[in-house]
Amino acid sequence: MPIRVNLDRVLLQRRMSLTELADRVGVTIANLSILKTGKARAVRFSTLSALCRELDCQPGDLLIYEPGPDDVGDDDLD
Amino acid sequence: MRALGPGSVSSFLKIILDVVFFALWIGIGAVCLMMLAAVLFSFNPELIENMSIRTGGGTQIDAGGPVLLGGLAAAGLYLAGVLVIVERLRRIFSTLTAGDPFHPENVRRLRVIGLVLAGLEIGRYVIYGLGAWALPDAAISQPEFSPTAWFSVLVVFVLAEVFREGARLRREAELTI
Repeated sequence: MPIRVNLDRVLLQRRMSLTELADRVGVTIANLSILKTGKARAVRFSTLSALCRELDCQPGDLLIYEPGPDDVGDDDLD
Repeated sequence: MRALGPGSVSSFLKIILDVVFFALWIGIGAVCLMMLAAVLFSFNPELIENMSIRTGGGTQIDAGGPVLLGGLAAAGLYLAGVLVIVERLRRIFSTLTAGDPFHPENVRRLRVIGLVLAGLEIGRYVIYGLGAWALPDAAISQPEFSPTAWFSVLVVFVLAEVFREGARLRREAELTI
């Protein structure tokens, strides 16, 4: 997946733990871990806006596009 | 009335399948016992020579030891095939009862059911062929091509693909944060 989630860096800048963010956003720690480790297939706009609200950042601060050899189309997801 | 989940139609069907599953085991046990008896009686050929098999068409066939054993083996294989189908259906209905129809394992289970259904249908022709070869004088009714059976096989394979797509969508949903 060429989209990388920069949650670690933003959390470090805000000096916020994953547990605290999970509490504030209303997402389980397990799901945030999936997002943080890049295993997530999709992010809901509602989740993204909650993350941006609580971390006081823009979606672009959280998501980075890095084209590479694993840049697959939607049809190749399985 | 709900179709999925505890106390639903699927849980009722699961109970029926459980009963059929154990009845099939009893049937297979009975066939095995009869095969064992046929083998034991084969040591005394006079006993088996007196036996006869009545076919569906009303034809009477004098059954020698090998014919009787072959018939019983065919019946046992048929029951074993049905047992495999019922066992897979039980597992599928367990997931339906748990409210999780698109369990990834259900795809493989449906494919197995389709393959066994096709195998049973082909087995029907094979057994007829073997019967006609072993008993050339017996008027065994020729098995007719059954469009319903082959239609069922195709429907099961299509359903397996539908479940595969469902399982993929479920995984997508699980990984959507």
